[in-house]
Amino acid sequence: MASEATTLRNIVAAFTDFLTVAIHTILYERAIYPQTSFLSARKYNFAVRQNRHPKVCGWINDAVSAVEMELLKGTVERVAIVIFTKDNKPAERFMLDVSRFPTATLADLDTPLERKSANGDNISILPKVDMEEQFRATLSRLANCGSTLRPLPEGSTFTVAIELKGVGQAPIAHPQPWMPVEPTKQDDIDGRVQKRAVPVRAVAAGEMMLECWIEEAAVSD
Amino acid sequence: MGSRLEQKSNLVRKRIEGHTFEDEGGDEYEGSKFGGFTDYFRRKKIKLQNLDAQVRAQSSDKPQIFKGVVCHINGYTQPSLNDLHTLIVQHGGGFLQYLDGKTMCTHIIASNLTPKKREEFKRYRMVKPAWIVDSVNGGKLLPWDAYRVIDEGVGQKVLGFDNGQVVTQASRKTQGYREQTSTSWYTSQLKGREADTPATVKKLPSFTQPLTPEEEIDDDEYPVPEITSSIERALDQDDYGSQYLSPELPHQPCGVLDAATSLETPPKTSPPPVPSEDEAAAKGRATSPVEAAMPAVESAAAFRPREGSQEPDYSMAIVRNSEKLRDISPSKLADMTAEEHNALLLSDPRIRKSTVVHPDFLEQYYRESRLHHLSTWKADLKSQLQALAAEKSSSQKTKLKKLPGQRRYIMHVDFDSFFAAVSLKKYPQYVEKPAVVAHGGGSGSEIASANYPARDKGISNGMWMKRAQDLCPELKILPYDFPAYEEASRKFYDAIMAAGGIVQSVSIDEALVDISAICFAESGTDGVKRYEGAVHREQRKADMLAQAVRDEVLEKTGCAVSVGIGGNILLAKIALRRAKPAGQYQIKPEEVFDFIGQLEVEKLPGVAWSIGGKLEEIGVKLVKDIREMSKERLINTLGPKTGEKLWDYARGIDRVEVGEQVIRKSVSAEVNWGVRFENQEQVDEFMHGLCGELHKRLLKERVKGKQLTMKVMRRAANAPRDPPKHLGHGKCDTYNKSLQLGVATNDPAVITKEVIAVMKGFNISPGELRGIGVQMQKLEPLKAGGEGAELGSQKRLQFKRPTTPPVRNDTATVGRATEDSIQDDVTPEKQRIADINKPSVAIRPINVTTPTKRPLNMLGTQFVLPTQVDTSVLAELPADIRAKLAKHIKPNVGLPPVPAFKTSEQRHKLAPKDFPAIALPNQSQLDPSILEALPEDVRAEILGFYKSPGNRKRGEQALLPQSPRKVRTLPATKHPVKRKRGGGLFAGRARSNLHSVDNSTLTQSNFVARPLAPKHLQEDGGANTTDTEDAEIEELDPDFLAALPEDLRKEVLDQQRQARLQRTGGIDVSLHQRAKARKKKGTDEEGPLDRLLQLPPRPLKPSFTMRKLTELPDLRTAVKAWYQEFSDEGPYEEDIEALGKYLRDVVVEERDVAKAVVVVKWLVWVAEEGQEVEALGEHARATWDQGVAFVVEAVQSAVAKRGLGRVDLG
Repeated sequence: MASEATTLRNIVAAFTDFLTVAIHTILYERAIYPQTSFLSARKYNFAVRQNRHPKVCGWINDAVSAVEMELLKGTVERVAIVIFTKDNKPAERFMLDVSRFPTATLADLDTPLERKSANGDNISILPKVDMEEQFRATLSRLANCGSTLRPLPEGSTFTVAIELKGVGQAPIAHPQPWMPVEPTKQDDIDGRVQKRAVPVRAVAAGEMMLECWIEEAAVSD
Repeated sequence: MGSRLEQKSNLVRKRIEGHTFEDEGGDEYEGSKFGGFTDYFRRKKIKLQNLDAQVRAQSSDKPQIFKGVVCHINGYTQPSLNDLHTLIVQHGGGFLQYLDGKTMCTHIIASNLTPKKREEFKRYRMVKPAWIVDSVNGGKLLPWDAYRVIDEGVGQKVLGFDNGQVVTQASRKTQGYREQTSTSWYTSQLKGREADTPATVKKLPSFTQPLTPEEEIDDDEYPVPEITSSIERALDQDDYGSQYLSPELPHQPCGVLDAATSLETPPKTSPPPVPSEDEAAAKGRATSPVEAAMPAVESAAAFRPREGSQEPDYSMAIVRNSEKLRDISPSKLADMTAEEHNALLLSDPRIRKSTVVHPDFLEQYYRESRLHHLSTWKADLKSQLQALAAEKSSSQKTKLKKLPGQRRYIMHVDFDSFFAAVSLKKYPQYVEKPAVVAHGGGSGSEIASANYPARDKGISNGMWMKRAQDLCPELKILPYDFPAYEEASRKFYDAIMAAGGIVQSVSIDEALVDISAICFAESGTDGVKRYEGAVHREQRKADMLAQAVRDEVLEKTGCAVSVGIGGNILLAKIALRRAKPAGQYQIKPEEVFDFIGQLEVEKLPGVAWSIGGKLEEIGVKLVKDIREMSKERLINTLGPKTGEKLWDYARGIDRVEVGEQVIRKSVSAEVNWGVRFENQEQVDEFMHGLCGELHKRLLKERVKGKQLTMKVMRRAANAPRDPPKHLGHGKCDTYNKSLQLGVATNDPAVITKEVIAVMKGFNISPGELRGIGVQMQKLEPLKAGGEGAELGSQKRLQFKRPTTPPVRNDTATVGRATEDSIQDDVTPEKQRIADINKPSVAIRPINVTTPTKRPLNMLGTQFVLPTQVDTSVLAELPADIRAKLAKHIKPNVGLPPVPAFKTSEQRHKLAPKDFPAIALPNQSQLDPSILEALPEDVRAEILGFYKSPGNRKRGEQALLPQSPRKVRTLPATKHPVKRKRGGGLFAGRARSNLHSVDNSTLTQSNFVARPLAPKHLQEDGGANTTDTEDAEIEELDPDFLAALPEDLRKEVLDQQRQARLQRTGGIDVSLHQRAKARKKKGTDEEGPLDRLLQLPPRPLKPSFTMRKLTELPDLRTAVKAWYQEFSDEGPYEEDIEALGKYLRDVVVEERDVAKAVVVVKWLVWVAEEGQEVEALGEHARATWDQGVAFVVEAVQSAVAKRGLGRVDLG
């Protein structure tokens, strides 16, 4: 019965929770903000850091809720936490591939999801324990990402971006939380060679299917 | 102890073990040379070891339990040094007579240590001699730490083993004579069974060892009188003495025998009689002949001298007689934990009856405790009197403005030996004989009151009966007669009140009366100017008044009272002394000085031996001596307050006014008799009762308090388990703790909660508790007025009480049904404002009659509508009224706790047009600390509002766990987030995103999905008919449902649906709308169970090899096996390709780059490892390298295909 209550909204909520924590973790690990401004907290039974600056928190929460809104529409392919250098060049991208989330029409956002296995058994849509374990593992990997990545230059900043699925309509409406990105050469083949990917971890717990990796821009000069 | 510290003792041990002794030929037996003291001493030690070696050799039959132990003995021990030495050495231990360094030995044996040594040896193994003895008797080396001499202090928790489990426990203080003796060598020698009953000796004095049944039996077989301590022995001896005295006493009345027996019958308010000694003894004899044959060590008279008379002692004899307790030797008792001890004690039903464990204990306690009786009685009387005096003297008081220098006339009226006098009324034959009132004739009872003949014999109040009987053998003992006292007291006060003046009760039998006003009235002066005649007239009037009072009291009660009159309370009291017995005396202003000067200081009120002693030290004996002293000297000696007071007293000055009521500062309930608990539950239970009692008293005093003080008495560490007084508290450590409650309360639940928490904080083992008291301070008076009187300073809503709504328009009356549905509203003003803003509900018929209100209240009613409505009432209403009401009511229901939310949602929902901009505060504005403080689920819920953007529908509210009925009873301002459905509570923020897909109105409730809702939401402001059902529909919490068993759940759901259908049937909702809705959402009607979004089956995970491997460990194993299989010949191409394809699939389809990368890395590592380990053929190596390269490339290309950068592989 409990699993029957799992709706797309639940899944998205679980993901955005994770996203919030992940963003904080990344900010801490990549030293975007002074590490002293982070407090130790506990999520998924894992020691995580949370920035306590109200504006930072507010920004993250805003961003995450904007992401959530798009996720509910089912148009998101990937969520990226992009770290820019001072001169606004992307240095790292923490990618979360959410393209395999189930989709539902807006009408069915709160309809319980169900998936049957080959022999007709119900498969748990959102196995909480399993999901949390995998989130924990992912966070743990993220928390260690500093060891594989080059140190960031001073004064780096970050943003949250989403990549839409081909079919999705860009969220251009009022109010407009999203800024469309001009397609750049970055996405061309040349650009691809210049970046290095560090796989973090995939999460596959019921319908919570996502993959996380880090893309690091190659040394530009 | 670190290993470095062990080193030396190890060396010593080895040396001792290696020591052999053949004959006296060694060099140690040579004569000492001059100056060779070191040599001498070395030799001496060797010789001592020789002796040991010999002893050891001779006792090879003994078990070598002390192998590895090197002992040294410090100080006096109870098996003597020599005995212990022999024991240790015989059983294989090493012994050191001389301790060259503390680390030389492993254990130091001592019974007691000086504080210095205690500190010095704190970190060494200081062991009691009993360790050796018990180990020898037990035949094995017992853990030494049960025999520590130095414990870690009382508060220190220690680890212990109990039934194989590690337990922590508070280390108990095991010092004291009991410890020394009960395990001592000589005690067991004395018991004469050291050899054949090792059990008793073996018994550890440990803090974990429970009492085992065998041991009990053991002891039963040896009913030897065991004297465990000198104290007990002394007490026992005392008993022998008192035995001769006490038994006869009740039977030696000088009067007639039947009179004596009638005297023995206590009044019904006092406790039942003590069984007479003879009975008890007889019982003892009957039950246990062995016991009786013995000198009556524990006879019923035990501890008699200590018996207090304040508390019920009816079962005092019982406990001493209890076989249960007697069967167990004192030493055994000493080893039990406090709880066990209590359990044992309580196992006797008679004892149980009189302890806190008994459910009616508190009631009984307060009924029977004499002290309590008297004090409550007095308090009652005082408050009665206060009320009376307030009534009577309110007029006088105002006109009795005290003028400076005014003369005063104060009467102090006092019964002469009140209790005795009243009691004697029933026994007029004893009036002339010395008689006292006391509880029973036992030697331990205290004299409450003695008549004047008895006082002449030197008997005074408060004297022990034993002493009184020594002084006056023919003393008459009268029982208490509480009803008569009460009666007499009432009459006494009646008489005094009748006399007029300001009355202040001092106690039940004495009162102060300020009669100045009456006297002035007589003399016709204002009391300031001095006319000889006027003063004289006043004094005469005072005397007359006193005489009148005396006559009246004598007439009414048959008892004499004395009256002292003086210019102030002090003088009145002193005058009373002179007046007694049965007289009156007035101290005239001119004789004050001499009169007081003659007195001994201790005669002054408030001065007793303690202050008297101090004064005597500075040479003050009489009051006039005080006058010689400077005020400073007095203050220095006695402290500022007392010093000044005495200085004033010596001059006849007393500033205290009659009628000045001492305001009650605290109310308390305390029990310190019969407090014996077996477990924590009983404690909690008892606390509950005690707090109930406190609550009762607070109510009676019409106060509530802000500060709670808890007093806990805990058995002092060295106090015996059974105090001298039966079930008394004995010697105790008292702990106090106060806490501020913030808001004054007298709510027993609150008090209990706090008190139990405090109790937990004390962390006292239940068995050690001896007394508990709860006191309420910082009292505030209860506000008068009906039921509200019991409420605290904060207003509370009274729900579910049908009351007439506050009517705004006097011309209107409300229909019966409406009345019922409307409840108390505490904040009408606020509501009114809200009402104006809201499209409020009209109750039509009334509305018609009140046209005047219309301009102000556009749609609305003249009534302040309730914020909460009983659904059952609502259901009874006609559909249209219900619709309106519900419309109106609903918005008030869901107020989340975050203040920022408070208003927005209801307004928004109700009048979206008026408040288009109101929405959720930005999530960033939420105080994270508040969020954090919220319970998990509530927080999730709040955050949920943020997570759901504008396309959230009202239907989804059904998901939220809620229970409207429960919610309704809560005060609106403290509303939890749980709301009724139909909220769309925070939906405003992104309303623009709403899709108007469906256009039907909401007709059905649905637990989970209401896809047709958004439209409805928009219509909400205008059309309000359909909301009614929303307000009523009770949502089922899915969690709750999930917790139900399958069949039950089905039933609940069915019921719910039924109810829903019924409701919709009753409401005027067009059927076609429903039909439309059903058509649109085919399964909607079927309820949540059937409405599922079936996800398409997932594509199978790509898998590797025939075995369909997908998991990383399996893959690793497979890869490794594959490599090992083909290490020398190189892999087949199809295998390589298969792996490459699989990994490509993993990256592209399974989308787990990490997994692919790990597999590749593993392959690379396996290949490299293999190549290092064995020299491969050139061909094999090349093919492997190629294969690896192929796989790597496959993965890289797959990754590239997904638009990722190159991954780092290997």
